[in-house]
Amino acid sequence: MTDAGLGEGAGGMTGVKAAAPGLAPSPGRARSRRLGFGFWLAAAWVAVIVGAALLAPVLPITDPTDVGAGGPRLPPSGEWLFGTDSLGRDVFARTVHGARISLAVGGFAIGFGMVFGGGLGMLAGFFRGRLDQLIGLVFFVLLSFPALVLAILITATLDRTLLVVSLTLGILAIAPVGRLARATTLVYAEREFVTAARVLGARRGRIIVRELLPNALIPMGALTLLGMAVTVVAEGALAFLGLSVAGDEAISWGKMIVDGAQLRDLQQAPHVAMFPIAAMFLTVLALNFAGDRIREYFDVRELAF
Amino acid sequence: MIRFVVRRVVLLALVLLAVTFTAFAALNVLGDPLVNIVGPLAEKDCTEVYAGRAEDQSTSLNPSGDCEVVAAARAEYHLDRPLAPRYFLWLGDLVRGDFGTSFQNNQPVGEVLREKFPESLLLMVMAQAVALGVSIPWGVASAYRANRPFDRISTVGSFGLLSVPVFAMGVVLLYVFTLRWSVLPSAFEDDSLLVRLRSLTLPAVTLGLPLAAAYQRLLRTDLITTLQEDFVHMARAKGLTPVRVMFRHALRPSMFSMVTVFGLNTGTLIGGSLVVEQIFGIPGIGREIVTAVVRDDFPVVLAAVVVIAVGFVVVNFLVDLLYSWLDPRVRAA
Repeated sequence: MTDAGLGEGAGGMTGVKAAAPGLAPSPGRARSRRLGFGFWLAAAWVAVIVGAALLAPVLPITDPTDVGAGGPRLPPSGEWLFGTDSLGRDVFARTVHGARISLAVGGFAIGFGMVFGGGLGMLAGFFRGRLDQLIGLVFFVLLSFPALVLAILITATLDRTLLVVSLTLGILAIAPVGRLARATTLVYAEREFVTAARVLGARRGRIIVRELLPNALIPMGALTLLGMAVTVVAEGALAFLGLSVAGDEAISWGKMIVDGAQLRDLQQAPHVAMFPIAAMFLTVLALNFAGDRIREYFDVRELAF
Repeated sequence: MIRFVVRRVVLLALVLLAVTFTAFAALNVLGDPLVNIVGPLAEKDCTEVYAGRAEDQSTSLNPSGDCEVVAAARAEYHLDRPLAPRYFLWLGDLVRGDFGTSFQNNQPVGEVLREKFPESLLLMVMAQAVALGVSIPWGVASAYRANRPFDRISTVGSFGLLSVPVFAMGVVLLYVFTLRWSVLPSAFEDDSLLVRLRSLTLPAVTLGLPLAAAYQRLLRTDLITTLQEDFVHMARAKGLTPVRVMFRHALRPSMFSMVTVFGLNTGTLIGGSLVVEQIFGIPGIGREIVTAVVRDDFPVVLAAVVVIAVGFVVVNFLVDLLYSWLDPRVRAA
């Protein structure tokens, strides 16, 4: 499930145990064999955004940091597709470039969460015992902070570079991903093929990497897109608190929305805020929808985000 | 039940220790606390500070900045001690109600929080009220005729609503309702309770709508299951009106999932309210944090973060107890 605010882990002490993912088909709903038209539409939009982010520097568009490229607060027109902002910068160029930071932060954060959260979760699920308790406590404490508050805690005293902001959101992803990885590992560690590998004399490292990892990757991968959606939104929320990537060259959708949301801008030139809002909404919607379809397709029932 | 509660209370105490330590350590290790407290003064030699006192008073961000401040800060925050003892000294001050002093205006932090906290709390309570007020009728209406046109449209609607970032919702509502239609005030006013409630309406709707969508989905699913139970058929067979069956018989046993996510959503709500306070200019704890972060006001940031985190942990603890009281199976877990 994706919350509209900052992604909230399955936090706190609501002793609801993670459902065993990926084993039985969910009751009541037939498993759909096809991803469907909507999925491909959503995937196409994500592909467009990723393409824009990758190609932004070479695309024939105005320099997004060029102050006074046009007059201030020009409405959308043929020349300025999305209009210009209060400093006369091209909102279209900024929206295209804004995808870079939003996606970079999202992608990095999820990757970080997968590697560290996934790794810790698998270790906890495989070795059980003391190690499991210790890692479980770490996850629990991470989830005991409202996500945005934890992000404030980390970014408040550091220089807000791209790396710091990405790392911060990556740390937020550790616990939800880790819990999913642990639950999956617990289930698969009991399965016959793992016992078979043990009997054949496989070392524990080999069992984790060759037997368990591929199985844990499917549910984790299915949640990548949902996680991306959460982090894209999270970057925007940080921007509203003045804690997103610092500097005028660092353009993100969140920072554009903040700029355009000043009362005067909103009054005289609502397009400055509305275009990045639309871009972010469509992207989050597409990621959520595609992620949801993939989750159904692979029948992952864990609500990790 | 008593053993369960005792175990949970011990766990609660452990988690509170861990949470406060994490917050304390993060702000102490990631940044130099002395710099955060006294600003640029920390890097100066005391003699230099004395020499440049005249300029400092006019130019620096802390007019009162001199050696006594540095020394006082060191003593106040026990900066001459290692991290672990420093944490316990700080924690001791905290439980005695001493949150330190805001570096900006020398106001006790406890006072600042007491002043700002009610506004944020009121906002969150109103948001939950909006969420429940919208989601219950909505969930009932869509479950009543499941998979018919209304239900289909509302499923798409709630999915879309869940994908709207809370700040995007805030900006759009602000634009539509205050700038276009001028039906609600754009600036926060607090003359009387009624005016405050009016000022908080739009922010509460901003926070409440995505939450309502989340609740609606859960309620709809649970209601559809409940409506197939025998006791519902029985109630229908007795000739009760559909409204009565729905609200008196089916609704209450279908609210388990909603109770569960209530605690989880508190975290989302806290994060959301921090952001929404920025958009609508509400003088709550969120604005206080942002101001404090910009000014490197270390004591305020730390105290606010700790209060919020502790509140979140306690809410989840209470929801957990409530849930296990409602459903004994949870206790075994």
